[in-house]
Amino acid sequence: MLGTLRKQLKSHPALIPLLFFIGGGAAMSMGYLARLALRNPDVCWDKKNNPEPWTKMDPTHQYKFYAINVDYSKLKKQGPDF
Amino acid sequence: MWPPYRPRRTARLHPHRLSRNTYTAGIKVTLSSSLQLLQVSIDDIFLTEVKMAEEDIQAKLQNYRTAPFDARFPNSNQTRNCWSNYLDFYRCQKALDAKGVDTAPCDWYKRVFTSICPISWVQKWNDQREAGNFPGKI
Repeated sequence: MLGTLRKQLKSHPALIPLLFFIGGGAAMSMGYLARLALRNPDVCWDKKNNPEPWTKMDPTHQYKFYAINVDYSKLKKQGPDF
Repeated sequence: MWPPYRPRRTARLHPHRLSRNTYTAGIKVTLSSSLQLLQVSIDDIFLTEVKMAEEDIQAKLQNYRTAPFDARFPNSNQTRNCWSNYLDFYRCQKALDAKGVDTAPCDWYKRVFTSICPISWVQKWNDQREAGNFPGKI
């Protein structure tokens, strides 16, 4: 497959930017799915040992990339301990 | 279970420097008496910590308007937030009942899930709990 790709690119070099953009788009989508799968606290991989991963999070943990209104360093745990 | 901020219940003492942890104002004390003083001072600190936590919760419950921002659930889908607080309320009740302590602080969780959860969900879960087939672990 890579052999035919290289031959085609040699005869039509204008296709190279196409590769970059499609490859970049695919990498970004896979990257987003991977971030959701691995970093999202709602996702539970290990039902036996860590069934509720959101309970083990720090109240100042910032999941979003850019925080507009919320000052994450000032957040505290709200409910009582038990 | 949720709380990463458990106040420390047992003190960590250095075995050689016990007498420094008590305020004995330079009086020479034996090990056993310093241990007794130490236990009293640690108990005092623990009790004041517990009292402060209770007062905090009372103040928070009085000033409650709506569920505050929870960094664990930053997106618009708050389903998990509702579920988590519902579970936490009943777990808190069960844990504090088992300890024999007043369950009033657990009301924080009740206020939050009442604010966030759809009424039909709460009713359904209450029915499931009574029938014994509630899917969550309480």
